Amino acid sequence: MENFTNETIDTTQLPRFEEVPFTPLHPNYWKLTLIHLFVLFLILATALGFGLVFNDELILYQWNLIVAAAVLMLLVLIFSRIAFRKKGFAFRNHDVLFRSGIIATNTIVIPYNRVQHVALHEGFISRYLGLAKIEIFTAGGSSSDIEIPGIEKIQAKNIKQLLMGKIQKQL
Amino acid sequence: MKVDFSQPQRQSSIGVLIMFFDTIQEYGRALWPLIVIGIFKFDDANRLYIFLSIPIIFITIGIIAYLKYRNFTFFIDNENSEFVVTEGVFNKTRTTIQLHKIQQVNIKQSLLQRIIGVHALDVDTAGTNDKEVSIKAVSHELALNLKSVLLDNIRKVSENETVASESFDVQNAISEQPFISISFLSLLKVGITSNYIRSLGLLLAFFVTTYDYIIRFSNHGIINEDQFINYFDKGFVMRFVGILIVLLLAAILIINIFRTIVKFFNYQITKQSGSLLLSFGLFATKSTIIKPEKVQIISVTQNYFQKKFDILELKIKQATSGEKEARKQAIEIPGCNKNEHIAILKLLFGEMPGKGFMLKPNFRKLGFAVFLTIVLPLVLFYLVALNGAPNLLEYHYGVAVYVVFMGIIQYFSFRNNRLFINDRFIIKQSGAWDISNEIIEPHRIQAITTSQLFWHKSLNIGSITLHTAGGNVGFQLGNFEKIRNYANLWLYEMETSDSNWM
Repeated sequence: MENFTNETIDTTQLPRFEEVPFTPLHPNYWKLTLIHLFVLFLILATALGFGLVFNDELILYQWNLIVAAAVLMLLVLIFSRIAFRKKGFAFRNHDVLFRSGIIATNTIVIPYNRVQHVALHEGFISRYLGLAKIEIFTAGGSSSDIEIPGIEKIQAKNIKQLLMGKIQKQL
Repeated sequence: MKVDFSQPQRQSSIGVLIMFFDTIQEYGRALWPLIVIGIFKFDDANRLYIFLSIPIIFITIGIIAYLKYRNFTFFIDNENSEFVVTEGVFNKTRTTIQLHKIQQVNIKQSLLQRIIGVHALDVDTAGTNDKEVSIKAVSHELALNLKSVLLDNIRKVSENETVASESFDVQNAISEQPFISISFLSLLKVGITSNYIRSLGLLLAFFVTTYDYIIRFSNHGIINEDQFINYFDKGFVMRFVGILIVLLLAAILIINIFRTIVKFFNYQITKQSGSLLLSFGLFATKSTIIKPEKVQIISVTQNYFQKKFDILELKIKQATSGEKEARKQAIEIPGCNKNEHIAILKLLFGEMPGKGFMLKPNFRKLGFAVFLTIVLPLVLFYLVALNGAPNLLEYHYGVAVYVVFMGIIQYFSFRNNRLFINDRFIIKQSGAWDISNEIIEPHRIQAITTSQLFWHKSLNIGSITLHTAGGNVGFQLGNFEKIRNYANLWLYEMETSDSNWM
């Protein structure tokens, strides 16, 4: 209590979350996205192929369909790349930030003293690429949780330790 | 009177009856196809069997009910501070709830329970969306005692300094004069002035199903479909529509009044050591407790008529684990007047929330809303109408009415959309007809999301969502510089203070 002071806060001097430099996701995460997309495209292409072979009416629109599918795949690819480039995270002294979004830029900030628990998730393919996903949960429901994909596994473990330490300290 | 809850207890002996009806209901639900078949196959051959089996069934159910009653016990384990309930006839279940996890204890009474004179007691925790434990038949006194003991223990565990010293005894709480009680007249006023849209929806659903039913009926050759439709189409359509609208309005009002009264009859709010105890309901009395420290969002709603009548509606959202539950869990206090609402807010927040700095949305918000609710549906409508359903074009007047109606609604909801910020409170005002003010305190915020479309960067407008444990509060297309400044300020406040959000 002795050291208690209560001075007026100069709001212009507060640390600004929008000026924080964000760390991009690991380049291997782009590879992971490509693998996922490749599988998806393969399924789509097979479906289209079967459609063309077994349905005579579709043959008439053969080229239209193929061009449409190609354009669709290209668009998905471009948007995935933009989404990958836009995703980023940052850990400050008192909170964690995550930025994402293609058309809109969303930045979510969770102070450590609001974190309920932290989870580390490794997918089947991502394990081969040495990646992990960190999930940070709050009491505010699913819309206020952060999922940071594409972090190197060792780094992810460190981050989890860091977060756990921060939560422990709060308690 | 203090009851010792540390020993396993049974429910009131009359509770066997409740168990009996519950079991009948349970089996009835599971076996109704068999019952239906039994009724239809009711001929001389198996009449004997059925008459013989009915008493046997009832006796079996009676025995099961009795065993259920015998095996249902509850007690408080003071050593581990847990509430323990054991139940089940063949499969025994033992539920333990740590006392400090208990969020709510509700005392309820259904019609049957009211007739028998017992009460049900539900215990809710934050963990799941189901009630963890439901004790079906205890006396009112015991219920109140148990409730106060359960809640008292939470207080002791969670904050052992201030509140625990204000010890209270239950008898006192029961006899205490209600702090606010909402009169029948207020409920009538609420019924007249609220929920038009919801009741209209109910009515429409009713009409659609009846119409559907009639059409299906006519397919069986009883009524000729064309005849039936012509009957409505020709001659007195205009007069008929007029009468129909008047009838519809009357029906909406009556449904509203009826629903409000059934739901909120005899609404009483009592103070109980810093918390608010609510009880209401005509057939089934519900009671809920509101603890100031659990309150996340309070929304105050009032429309033009309600302003004239001096009534407003409060909705209180407490901390829950999921968003769907949050909506369901909102506690409504209908029809309190201005002074009562100030008193409740003062009790829950410590002071009357004031409006501070005002943030307005950019006019593009109106533009976007108009695009979404007027332009897009119109384009779709005319696309459909011009490409294959030309008879739709006859409804031009309907389109005009829709455009004007929607336009007015969107204009007013834009004009009412505001975010007020002061040191202790954030108030979001919204709504076209029912204007609601959602009040949150900055230290209840769990996380903050800011969002900006890339073409809004140069315009300096953007959105913010404040996530709390009772749901989200969002504000779109305001001055982004200001929004970010406030986000930084709130983050700073959240991170520097240890104040409990729950």
